[in-house]
Amino acid sequence: MISNSTQILFFLQILLFLLVIFMHLSRKSSSTITLYLVQSLIVAVLLFSSALQQPSWLPLFIAVLVFVLKVIVAPQFFYRLIREHQITFSASTYLNAPVTLIIIAMLTAFTYSDLFKPLTVLTEQNVDMLPLAIAMLLISVFLVINRKGALSQMIGILSLENAIVSFAFLAGLEQAPGLQVGILFDILVWVMIATVFATLVFRQVGSLDVTAMKNLKEE
Amino acid sequence: MLILLLIVLPFTASILSFFVKKQMAKLSYVVSRAAVVELIIALVITTLVVKDGTYQFIPYFSVDALGALIMMIVTVVGLAASWYSSGYLAVEMSKGIIDFHKIKQYFVLLHLFILAMLFAVCTTNPILMWIAVEATTLSTAFLISFYNKPTAIEAAWKYLIINSVGLLLGFFGTLLFLYPALQAGQGGLITWQSIWANITGFDPFVVKMAFIFILVGYGTKMGLVPMHTWLPDAHSKAPVPISSLLSGILLNIAFFAILRFKVVVDLVVGPLFAQQLLIFFGIISILVPAFIILSQKNYKRLLAYSSIEHMGIMALGFGFGGNGVFAALLHMVYHSLAKSLLFLSSGNIFLKYSSTKIANVKGALSVLPITGVAFIIGFLAITGVPPFGIFLTEFTILSAGIQQHPAVTVLALFGLVLVFVGFFKHMVAMMFGDNEKQVTHGEAGKWTVLPIIMLIIILVTVSLFIPAPLTLLINSATSVY
Repeated sequence: MISNSTQILFFLQILLFLLVIFMHLSRKSSSTITLYLVQSLIVAVLLFSSALQQPSWLPLFIAVLVFVLKVIVAPQFFYRLIREHQITFSASTYLNAPVTLIIIAMLTAFTYSDLFKPLTVLTEQNVDMLPLAIAMLLISVFLVINRKGALSQMIGILSLENAIVSFAFLAGLEQAPGLQVGILFDILVWVMIATVFATLVFRQVGSLDVTAMKNLKEE
Repeated sequence: MLILLLIVLPFTASILSFFVKKQMAKLSYVVSRAAVVELIIALVITTLVVKDGTYQFIPYFSVDALGALIMMIVTVVGLAASWYSSGYLAVEMSKGIIDFHKIKQYFVLLHLFILAMLFAVCTTNPILMWIAVEATTLSTAFLISFYNKPTAIEAAWKYLIINSVGLLLGFFGTLLFLYPALQAGQGGLITWQSIWANITGFDPFVVKMAFIFILVGYGTKMGLVPMHTWLPDAHSKAPVPISSLLSGILLNIAFFAILRFKVVVDLVVGPLFAQQLLIFFGIISILVPAFIILSQKNYKRLLAYSSIEHMGIMALGFGFGGNGVFAALLHMVYHSLAKSLLFLSSGNIFLKYSSTKIANVKGALSVLPITGVAFIIGFLAITGVPPFGIFLTEFTILSAGIQQHPAVTVLALFGLVLVFVGFFKHMVAMMFGDNEKQVTHGEAGKWTVLPIIMLIIILVTVSLFIPAPLTLLINSATSVY
């Protein structure tokens, strides 16, 4: 089983981590969505592999729900958004690529510092992977801050949520299925509302670049 | 059972509102009756909490003293805002600013917003509480962008993104708080009780780290500086009754969530850690808005910044500890009433002057005599002028801090003086002077005035005479939090 293989788990965790970095470097909206889709697919695989080891069918149901919501539904919303508004390239970043990479490196080094070492009490098995999940979390927050595009900000938030799910998976903090359904429902509603707002932003400023919204500054 | 009723009622009201066709009166009927029944149920629950200490429906839904206090705030301010909404939106519809479809959307979301807040207060599961707080963001996003103006959409987008990031960080912190209970084999929904029962399994470092995430996460929702940037925009762009709910209730719900986790932190690492953090966030949340208020040009933003300042005062009260905790909880009650009163009064001013700019409002006291007086009463109450209760609570909080933290206390006092000066300057500019625009005199209608009068009566009453059940609730909450 995958979850019994620490090496495969570590490999998948590295993939998740790299995907957030690629999101930072990606300039095309469609690429960013695809990267999120792949990231979500890996999260769904992790949950699926864990669910197969449990006697109850509920975790399996949750894994399927995660797959449907994050790999199919959410990306479809985003693809439709860029199709409707014919957006090829996502808006630029506040910082250029080299500075962005330096900050990512610093954030990663920070999570591997002594400061986070006590977190190892959470799990003995996946202790080397926890800092990577926290790095993914911080880099996702940085994606939301650094990107000027509304779509990239939305994907940054969903990537942050994936980072938390992967952390919870590694640390054994998965919640009861009922709660996970509630959280997934929340995410679904969030995706729908955020997509509607992105459309409204586009109608107002003619692009998804949030820096073009300057009305509040002028008040 | 009462908790179930309290949660089902706004949900039912939302569905009923959704199916109403072209009749504003029916929407008003549903919202006003639902708000009254919610208040009655909350009163009964609070009476039971005063009598027995807690009221429990099932282990996952229970109300303690602090919960009852906030539930009362939700339903009282909710009642005022609901009644006011009918009058306010009717005037806007008569002016052609909004149509029936928008009003229906407004009421459907308003009921869901109240539902989410009541749910957050009643649940004993931290994840369900998080879901409910996140639901408040989702239900209010469209209310903030209600007028579909570019500024409103910008404010709503900022609100959605910043709060979502904040709440996800809060979610991460929440998960970290659950690990001892999970490691102890606690299945199903983990309640606060089961977290407290497994307190020995906590690692102090993890608890500290988790609380920082909680404070940043829910602190974003609470509007603590420096995570506050969304608040002045969102609170100033939303329709006035929604602003009153955002400022008067929602910020307290976020603070309630922080306090729930603070209990655990205090038990594991001692009270000093959380207190120091609350003092830090509290003092900057007083000082930063104080300077901005001084040079503010928009009266709705002025009220929004004032809310940040008052959240800072409450945080400071809990940071100082001792009598400061009692005062902070009492402050929560006074602030909710006074801020709602001010926001609803500002709504009447906006209806008359069609502008939220301070410079465009002159002679409001003569143009809107009742609203003008209400606004002045609200100003006196919110800036802590005696005999209003906020004077007592601010004085007690500062007294609690003067020995242990003299520098912080002096800075806080300086901030409060700045706020008074700034607020006073703007209030005088708006209330007095010549009515240059020749705006017609008179209030817009009874439903835009009665809720304000109701809030004044409650505010003045609880300022001059703190009811015994209120003292009991706050004392009981103080012993836990």
